[in-house]
Formats: sequence, structure tokens, C-alpha cells
Amino acid sequence: MTELSQIDLQSLAAGHKRTWDAFVVAASPLINAVVRRALANYRLSDDDVMDAAQDVFVRLCNNDFRVLKTYDSARAGLSTWLAVVSRSAAVDFARRRRQATSPIDDVPESALAVEDRHVEKLKIPDGLLTDRQTLILKCLYDEERDVAEVAQLLKIDAQTVRSTHHKALLRLREHFKEEAP
Amino acid sequence: MSTERTPLSDRELWQSLATDRSVAPAAVSDMDFAAWLEGRLPEATAARIDAAVASDPAMRQAALELAGILGLPLPAPPPRMMVRAQALVGFEAERQVPRKSWLAGLFPAFGQGFALQRGAMAGIAVIVAAVGFMLGGGLGETYAEGKYASTQAPIIAKPFGRDTTNDLNDLFSDNT
Repeated sequence: MTELSQIDLQSLAAGHKRTWDAFVVAASPLINAVVRRALANYRLSDDDVMDAAQDVFVRLCNNDFRVLKTYDSARAGLSTWLAVVSRSAAVDFARRRRQATSPIDDVPESALAVEDRHVEKLKIPDGLLTDRQTLILKCLYDEERDVAEVAQLLKIDAQTVRSTHHKALLRLREHFKEEAP
Repeated sequence: MSTERTPLSDRELWQSLATDRSVAPAAVSDMDFAAWLEGRLPEATAARIDAAVASDPAMRQAALELAGILGLPLPAPPPRMMVRAQALVGFEAERQVPRKSWLAGLFPAFGQGFALQRGAMAGIAVIVAAVGFMLGGGLGETYAEGKYASTQAPIIAKPFGRDTTNDLNDLFSDNT
């Protein structure tokens, strides 16, 4: 079976049938996985998932392969770019079909509870944390991901995630301790 | 009773803060996002994407989802998915090539616009009509023929019976 990295992109963008067929075989597992994962919260049928995957392929070859021609192999791997395009197409498809829903039992009570008092949160001043520090803290606390997942996302090792997190919290504590009365 | 505050945990501290930025981050292209996911961007560009992902929960979810999928062994897709996708592109021989007019073949510029094509066709029709008219003699010859016909008109217009009668009368009168 042809790997995605072995696909002749010039031939593909020229619309050669054999290259397209090889591309479909190589790309289908990835597109299928990305679309299924993206649509998991939308509770769509298998046929819908199939249609969403077909939408991805249509998007790629429409208008004389216009989207495919925007891919630049010098900047990212084909599979990563394809995953990004597939997810974006799948989310567009789902929005056209139906709003995302979550069963009420799956939502934590804290998310459903209405707080009866207004709490004014302290604002983090611009420049106190770097964008990367903010992202790491958001992934760890807002998304409730573990250090290994964040490390995998940012292509850094787990120790770097821990030390960035530690430095960010030191800065926050230092800043808000000074501000506290 | 102690009046000292219990120190906040890291999570509590973070959750007690307003972490959303007032300024919306710039849009990120698919290509930039893919390069960022692979960790290929220079620091300055990566920081721009970091900011966008940090401030947009949907983008953060996309990033975490894709990072989880990429590099993992993937299950086989349904065969019907591949068959349908492969049918989107046909062989060269099957493709319908849009027919160009013979004029567009001669002059590629004429193939560009409908109005130009129609204008050129009308011009050529006028030229063909004019050439045909000239080959047929044009206005000068028609006029000459008309004039010639008018000079012969009294003879041609003379009733046949009356002429013959007059001629016979003349003949007989001469003989007598």
C-alpha cells in the first residue's frame, strides 16, 4: 500500500486518476479517524460520518484541486495538514447538520451549577505570562489534560512542561502576592 | 481561631483568575496550524499560534484531538468510503473537456469572453456579406443593368399584337 509521503503531489494536483486512487487509499484511514473523532460529540449516524469524509475529499479536489494546491511540503507533513483540513471540514459538516450535544449525565455538576454570587476575577496583566505558559496552564487546568498529553501536543518533553508550569505559577503567585492588601 | 488564609493550590489560583484576553488573536491558516502541530515554526511565529490556541477553546480542542490521533496506528476505513472518494476523479479519457469553438482555436484570446466571441462572429459575418456582395457585382453593376433596362423599356413594353398589325398594314399599303 502506498504511504501518504510517497504520493506524487504534482501528479495528484494535475488530476491523474491513478495518483488520486492511491492517495484515497493512503489518506482514508487518517481522514476516517479524524472525522469520526471530530463528530463524536455530534451524535451523527455512520452514514453521516461517511458523508463528512466524502466532504473532505470533495473539498480537496474541488475547483481543480484548489485546496490541495495550497499545501506546502516544506512547512508541514502531508498527514498533519490533511488532518487539520479534515477536522475543519468535519466540523463545518456537523454545524450544517446539527448542533453538538452532550448527554446531561456526562456533564459534571459543577458545570451545570449556577453560582448565586458575582465573583470578580483578577485579571492577569498582559505580558506577565508568555503565550506558551498561558497555553500550558490552560491545557492542564481548563482542559484537564495531563503533562504527557501537553508534551505530545507541543512536541516538547514532559520535564519542560513541568518546569514551564512551575515558572508560570511562581510569576503569578509573586505578582498577586504583591497586589494583595 | 487562626485568621491565616489557607494557601490556594495551583489549580485554585489559576481558576480564581480571569484568563481570557481582551484582544482576539489573529486567524490561523491550516498550513500554519499544521506546521505548529509539528513544532516546525520559528519561535516568533509559534508564539502567535500559541496565543491563538490558548485563547480559543475550539482551537485548543482541535489541537489536542489531532495531536492524539497523529502518529497512532489507525483503524481501516470502511471500503465504501474509499470507493466513493475514488469515484470523484475520473480517467482522462472519461473527463468531459469543454468544447472550444473553432474561432477560439484560431485565436486563443477569443476563447476568453462570451461578448468578445459574439462580437467577432458578427464582424466576420459582416465581412463575408460585404465580400459576397462585391463579388456579385455590387451596387455599380446593378445600377447599370437598371439603367439599360429602362432605355429598352418602350420596345419591350409595346403590345405584341398591335406592332404586327401596324407592320402588316405598312406592307400592304406600300404594295398598293
